[in-house]
Amino acid sequence: MKTMEVRIQRYLPEQHSEPVVESYQVPFDDSTSVLDALNSIKEEQDSSLSYRWSCRMAICGSCGFMINGEPKLGCKVFLRDYAAAGTLLIEPLAHFPVERDLIVDLEQFMQHLDAIQPYIIKEQANGVSEMTPHKQTPAQMDKYQQFSDCINCGLCYAACPQFGLNPEFIGPGALALAHRYNLDSRDEGRAERMPLIGSEEGAWSCTFVGYCSEVCPQSVDPAAAVNQAKVLSAQDMVLQLFRRKK
Amino acid sequence: MTYKTELGRTWWLKNSAFKAYMLREATVLPLVFFILCMLAGIYSLTRGEASWNSWVAVMGNPLVLALNALALVASLYHAATFFVLFPRVMPIRLGGKKVPDNLIVAGQWAGVAGVFVLAAWIFWGVL
Ligand code: SF4
Ligand code: FES
Repeated sequence: MKTMEVRIQRYLPEQHSEPVVESYQVPFDDSTSVLDALNSIKEEQDSSLSYRWSCRMAICGSCGFMINGEPKLGCKVFLRDYAAAGTLLIEPLAHFPVERDLIVDLEQFMQHLDAIQPYIIKEQANGVSEMTPHKQTPAQMDKYQQFSDCINCGLCYAACPQFGLNPEFIGPGALALAHRYNLDSRDEGRAERMPLIGSEEGAWSCTFVGYCSEVCPQSVDPAAAVNQAKVLSAQDMVLQLFRRKK
Repeated sequence: MTYKTELGRTWWLKNSAFKAYMLREATVLPLVFFILCMLAGIYSLTRGEASWNSWVAVMGNPLVLALNALALVASLYHAATFFVLFPRVMPIRLGGKKVPDNLIVAGQWAGVAGVFVLAAWIFWGVL
């Protein structure tokens, strides 16, 4: 089996005042993912290494790291892809506070997700007692489906310099999810969500760097959602002007 | 205790995607020069023939020509990036079906070609 040097940014708050990089030699073959490499280091070399993971199949969204400076899911990239580069540097997701080793504090992201009310809002709760289904045609579903594939991995936040500069920015993932519900024919909550989306911390903080969409493992295209939300917000502003004039 | 790195002024040098973004944003600089030239031209027009002729002479200066050529290239580059983004921000649906992105991009370039032809016709009387 071939081996490769894997460097990992370590941070143990009880030992380090700031992060340090440690190097490990990891055996690998064509099927070894970066997550497999971390598991092998933890099992064979250093049990103190901390990182998050669960599904191993790019669906739970918990294994996001910076790999050679790019936000990636550890279980979706393989050591063989970095064999040419000859070295692999694994760091915690950028723009989030580091709690320990590769574990970041996602609280800010969670708060933003919560704030945009990511669920179907009905003006009048109906259908629960009578069990009436909320029908939707394939064409109606097609409008939002792309934006509903988010797995909350946070890679887009690690890719977004605007979030890095200002963590109050609602950010790509949460704004994409807000847009997903605004586009849903069953939802009636758009008016409730728009004030936050149209605020300075909302869509307008985005300058369309576009890197969030490049790194998204689910092809959600959050940059498109955020900028479609800008269009909605601008429409709302113009409509309000006319309403006031009347 | 959590550890947080702040973004320094050079954050955009760390990643080629950020460099491309900064290049896109920097295209505004030569465009500002072009607009200043235009404004100076309009102003000199109001100030009579001598002033206009000297403006025309300045515009013929090789350095000014080079900067304005750069502005043209920069605006075409900015247009190229913008045209690709447009169908993602304003998806167009015809009869319930999404119009393919390439078609919208091609349509925008056709518009640019149209403007070039129109400008050539107005300024050089070709066609
Ligand atoms: S939009 Fe994509 S990159 Fe962002 S959290 Fe969702 S799945 Fe991850
Ligand atoms: S472990 Fe679930 S996405 Fe990687």
